[in-house]
Amino acid sequence: MGVISVDNADRLYWLGRYTERVYTTLRLYSKSFDIMIDEITDTYQAFCEMIDIPDIYGSKDKFRRNYPFDEANPDSIISNLLRAYDNAVELREEIGSEALSYVQLAIYSMNKAKISKAPLIEMQRAMDNILAFWGIADDSIDSREVRNMIKTGKRIERLDLYARLNMDRKDLVREVNRLAYRITVSGLSYKKENIKMLKELVEAPQIDYYKIVEMAETVL
Amino acid sequence: MKQLHFDYYMQITYAGCVSECHYTLKCIPADNIRQRLLGFSMEILPKNKWMEGVDSFGNAMVYGSIEKEQRDFSFHIQGDVEIDIREYETVKDDGEIFVYQYPYGLSTPGEELERFYQSLLGELNAKPDDYEKGVFLMHILYGNFIYEKEVTDVNTTAEEAWKLGKGVCQDYAHILIALCRRAGIPARYVSGMLIGEGYSHAWVEIYCDNHWFALDPTNNLIVEDSHIKIGVGRDAFDCQINRGIVMGGGSQTQNIRVCVEEKTEEIKT
Amino acid sequence: MYDLDLLEHTDTVNELLARYGVKFGIYKNNEFKEQLFPFDAIPRKIEKKEFDYLEKGLKQRVAALNLFLKDIYSKKEIVKDGIVPKDFIFASSGYMAECEGVTPIKGIYSHISGIDLVQGRDKQWYVLEDNLRVPSGASYPMIARELCRRSSPATFETNKLEDNRNYPKLLRQAMDYVNVGGHTVILTPGRYNAAYFEHSYLSEKTGAHLVTGAELKVEDDKLYYVSYDGKLERVGALYRRISDEYLDPMNFNPQSVIGIPHIFDVFRKGNVALINAPGNGIGDDKGIYYFVPKMIRYYLNEEPVLNNAPTYLPFYEEDMKYVLEHFDNLVLKDVAEAGGYGVVFGNSMTKEEKEKFITLLKKEPRRFIAQEVIDFMDIDILEGNETLPRKADLRAFVLMAEEPVVWKSGLTRFSRNPDSFIVNSSQGGGFKDTWVLSQ
Repeated sequence: MGVISVDNADRLYWLGRYTERVYTTLRLYSKSFDIMIDEITDTYQAFCEMIDIPDIYGSKDKFRRNYPFDEANPDSIISNLLRAYDNAVELREEIGSEALSYVQLAIYSMNKAKISKAPLIEMQRAMDNILAFWGIADDSIDSREVRNMIKTGKRIERLDLYARLNMDRKDLVREVNRLAYRITVSGLSYKKENIKMLKELVEAPQIDYYKIVEMAETVL
Repeated sequence: MKQLHFDYYMQITYAGCVSECHYTLKCIPADNIRQRLLGFSMEILPKNKWMEGVDSFGNAMVYGSIEKEQRDFSFHIQGDVEIDIREYETVKDDGEIFVYQYPYGLSTPGEELERFYQSLLGELNAKPDDYEKGVFLMHILYGNFIYEKEVTDVNTTAEEAWKLGKGVCQDYAHILIALCRRAGIPARYVSGMLIGEGYSHAWVEIYCDNHWFALDPTNNLIVEDSHIKIGVGRDAFDCQINRGIVMGGGSQTQNIRVCVEEKTEEIKT
Repeated sequence: MYDLDLLEHTDTVNELLARYGVKFGIYKNNEFKEQLFPFDAIPRKIEKKEFDYLEKGLKQRVAALNLFLKDIYSKKEIVKDGIVPKDFIFASSGYMAECEGVTPIKGIYSHISGIDLVQGRDKQWYVLEDNLRVPSGASYPMIARELCRRSSPATFETNKLEDNRNYPKLLRQAMDYVNVGGHTVILTPGRYNAAYFEHSYLSEKTGAHLVTGAELKVEDDKLYYVSYDGKLERVGALYRRISDEYLDPMNFNPQSVIGIPHIFDVFRKGNVALINAPGNGIGDDKGIYYFVPKMIRYYLNEEPVLNNAPTYLPFYEEDMKYVLEHFDNLVLKDVAEAGGYGVVFGNSMTKEEKEKFITLLKKEPRRFIAQEVIDFMDIDILEGNETLPRKADLRAFVLMAEEPVVWKSGLTRFSRNPDSFIVNSSQGGGFKDTWVLSQ
């Protein structure tokens, strides 16, 4: 009917955030996994620090098993993916069965990865599924409002993650610009001063990453 | 013919703040051949736009939703009725009484009440008609039940009250309804007001010989012109004077003030 | 035994069903779990001629049931004329006095009816149960067909059958027919409901918004949907997938948190269509079931096309006598229970159980019906490479707009347990597609 309820608007936004979180953390995890192959002393703590999650793992092996797959750990990748699903499953009529099916498939891929001896290849499939989800969201969701709500969530989450990861200035500038564009066309009410501040923050000689996170988190 | 003036005020105060409240009031006195509603005025606070309707039992309803923060809710209705005790309500269609013939809701009897009923069968069968049976059941109940406040609540069933042996007008009414229906006499619950100052009241109507007769088991009397009838139903729940649901608010205190007095002729000058 | 390409692609179909989340929710040890609804690829086939017969009977049955509901909540002529004893109506929990004198839009009570049938070994069909409240299950064969066609196009090139993917269109027509102006929406209790998949799937396919009670509100005796920017959008028809009891805390169960306060008052004023209408519980009451053939004769002046399973009402002395004499051959059903509960077989009771049951039966004869145990025709299911015979029923769907329309398919449910006659999905079991051959 072209009108979205408060609850669904919220779900669309969080669907965007969680799918982004899963995608980016999967990518980072795969990269770190590669580094960990060669290392003698554990460096996984640095990974936890980088993405700002508590180190509850104790060893590299435990980290490798637990961080992606443990549903009881609220910071794990699977927990974030299940949160994405929890939002998506209530949005079937907004996003369509096709888009929803890729979130479902990402869960199946992660479940397979969990029991696989070579989990990275299955995790690659989970990433493929998320990318396909975004592709479908872009391609076949008719409502611009719906698309924009998902993308706004995605943009905020990415900026948030990139700032936490202390990424390069050019990455941050790009993400701020993308967010600024998306949020203006989204029709959502947002704080204009936050966007202005974000633009200044990424241009400042000394980048204040925490301030960027704070501004991103409070923009809506 | 007697004219009565009524004044009904109810206020609910919440311990905390209520963010949303929905209410249905069945508080407007009945208007029929026996009791004519001459006029009334009503106020509901906090002020809101209410809706009006009639439920399936023929009760007038006023209902609405208040979606702003509030600390209390109140309504105040006052007006006049004229009662003609020579007239009785009747039914247009036999179908109307079917719903008043079976155990339902709070007026459902259980084993204890059934045992009591069985013990009355001898005397009951000796009565010539349903009206006499109804009056007999009222007398018997009155003699075997004690009026006591705060031992029962709005959700107490006929069986529970009977086992307890005491209660208030609502319990008297539910038990009498259960007994009458058990004896094959259609019976319904009546909410209303009684002459004097006090609270709301409840009694029973039984259907015999094509007429509804009203019995007040709490006072062991046949209703004449000191009662103002508000609503009817299968049990108290059907014609609850005020029903509401609230979001938040914590505990509630309810304050009811009812006053009914006979109108003396105004001298026109 | 089966020359069906589809069966070679069973795994593909199941993979697709999993992909699209064709599940139902259950609670196990107080935890919510979503389970795949097991699909069996061997279809139930119904010949055109046979379905024509069923169609005729189903339309007739649903037409009579609608007339019955309208009569009960208004003139009650069927009671006054002595066809149905009033005990069976007014003492039943399915009857709702709150609906007295309230006529739904265009007089339609059951817009979506799910009629459960079984086929005996003699090929004869019997109606087992009418579901006039919120019958569920149409989405499963509908999506299964879609996915079977994708998995095995060859099967559908060689077998000519009625396309069952028109269900959303029929549903939409039934909803639009009674819409009083405004949006058509589907009300769900939420994702933890067993049938949530169906709610969301039907919403997607009909284009009717899926809503929860909290997203709707009543103002000025009209129903509105509240959008995220606070705008109120009028709702003209509500396909509600919650039961009467929970629909409106101001008029029914005050504890309900999934309903909409005052929605029944809006309905009473004719300002919204509720699909199905409240009060239908009296039409699909197990005790009333016995009277359906009588009501067909009474309202339509026709002989019933479809048979009931032979049923006895212990309420009648004669029937009580029969039930006591043939206790071991009968299945006894508690009229107040649903979903496969409250069903006992006379021959499965111990001596003490039987005695206890008979005492209860004599005390509350109105509470039970007794039926002959039908010798079901078994249907094959696949188990690995083997086929095994299992009990199965068929839920046929009748949608009512201007005229009743029978959906040319249905939900075939089977029990996994070879000895079980109970095929309800809430008690385990799976489903099949139902093929109605077009020639």
